[in-house]
Amino acid sequence: MTAASLRVTPVVGVLTACITLISGFEFSSSPVRAASLPKVTMNAESIRPRPIEQRTGETVTQAYARAWQDLAESLETNRTDLLGDYFTGKAKNRLSQRISDQQKLGLRTRYVDRGHQVKAVFYSPDGGEMQLQDQAQVEMQILDGDKAISTSNSTQKYLVLMTPGADRWYVRSLEEVPDNAF
Amino acid sequence: MNALLTARLLLVLIALPAIGQPIGLRPPSAVAAGSPVSIATSGAGTATFYLLGPSHAVKRTVQLGQEVSIPGSDLSSSGLYQAIACDSSGCASAAFQVLPASPARFSFLVHPSRVPVNTANAINATALVFDRFENTVLEPSSVAFRFSPGVGEPFNRRVPTELGIAWLQMGSTSKQGPLRVLASVGENAETRVIQQVASEACGLRMQATSGPRNVRLQTEPVRDCGGNPLPDGTVVSFTKIDGAGRSTVDTPIKKGVASAQFSVSGPARISVACGVVLGNEISLGGQP
Repeated sequence: MTAASLRVTPVVGVLTACITLISGFEFSSSPVRAASLPKVTMNAESIRPRPIEQRTGETVTQAYARAWQDLAESLETNRTDLLGDYFTGKAKNRLSQRISDQQKLGLRTRYVDRGHQVKAVFYSPDGGEMQLQDQAQVEMQILDGDKAISTSNSTQKYLVLMTPGADRWYVRSLEEVPDNAF
Repeated sequence: MNALLTARLLLVLIALPAIGQPIGLRPPSAVAAGSPVSIATSGAGTATFYLLGPSHAVKRTVQLGQEVSIPGSDLSSSGLYQAIACDSSGCASAAFQVLPASPARFSFLVHPSRVPVNTANAINATALVFDRFENTVLEPSSVAFRFSPGVGEPFNRRVPTELGIAWLQMGSTSKQGPLRVLASVGENAETRVIQQVASEACGLRMQATSGPRNVRLQTEPVRDCGGNPLPDGTVVSFTKIDGAGRSTVDTPIKKGVASAQFSVSGPARISVACGVVLGNEISLGGQP
């Protein structure tokens, strides 16, 4: 279950949104959907050149949270089929390649997602692209078979490009960037 | 006997530093995408080496104490890479950043495809700049835009990218016709064409020719304020109010003008409009 709250602030005649999606406390009974929905907080106060509509902000935030849920689950189970719902293009290709390599080598990656502070910075006038800056708190564990060979816990920055599809927004590009990138 | 003992002791002494030495990995802090890299290792014996990046995972056996060479093909995606080495005593890991290479390609989007002339901030151009591996180029780079209208001199704009995106907004020019927009980053260039079309009608006027029972109306050539003729098919509305009531005829522009015919009973007032623009009004005395 997802609880969504939305704060809309008028700034210079433009609606800007600060949107939070918080994962619920309900445990999933489905064996497929193991990972929980991560907490994503989105701030769109400085987005340009096009302002973001309230509904769009909610949809993007939800899609991004679900994309991370799928990412975590696909990298842990080495299942590329989980990437189709919220990833497309380059992001999907790269993750698929990583999962394929992991599968061949008997590796897995386990994410413990502690949340994302997302800032929406660019929304193209035609509504075709949205760029996000994500500051994510993610614990990552690499496993060879069942043996943990590395654990890291850090704040990592991601530059994200999202594009709309027929009924949802997709992550088209998800790139880890250095701390000083933004 | 003593010699054998001494030899054994020497062997232990030689081996001790290697046995006690923990595994170490020293990757460079950052490297450009697609560039090969050598990761220095410390320790002794063999270890299993892992490299995990955004689109790759590698596992192989390496000799500790020697450098591990990673080919550029394993470092094509920018992002954080995790290098890990494990032997029987445990694992060591180190992270390093692969940064985007220099700009090599870009996506270019122009919106809209048709725009009325003389409209402020109506044209938007966006360029997304990537390196040859499709990594978003984070360092600012310059995108040159060249606008070539069908009539008039071309003009240029140069916009720096911000985290891989350069965009600009500008008004349409005063003359209708194709507006070619060329964007270039380094040696790469792409062109898009926007069709600039006439804006709203301006100075709409009609003339009336009265017959025995009716009146024939015809506009002057319908143009916008920049003198661009409105395209054929644009609807013009003629409205007559007389003793019989109110009557409207919607008619498309043909060969630049619109025409209509009304029967008139008594005094009448006839007006003309095109879209939101009102033209002149004609009063007629009417026929009995």
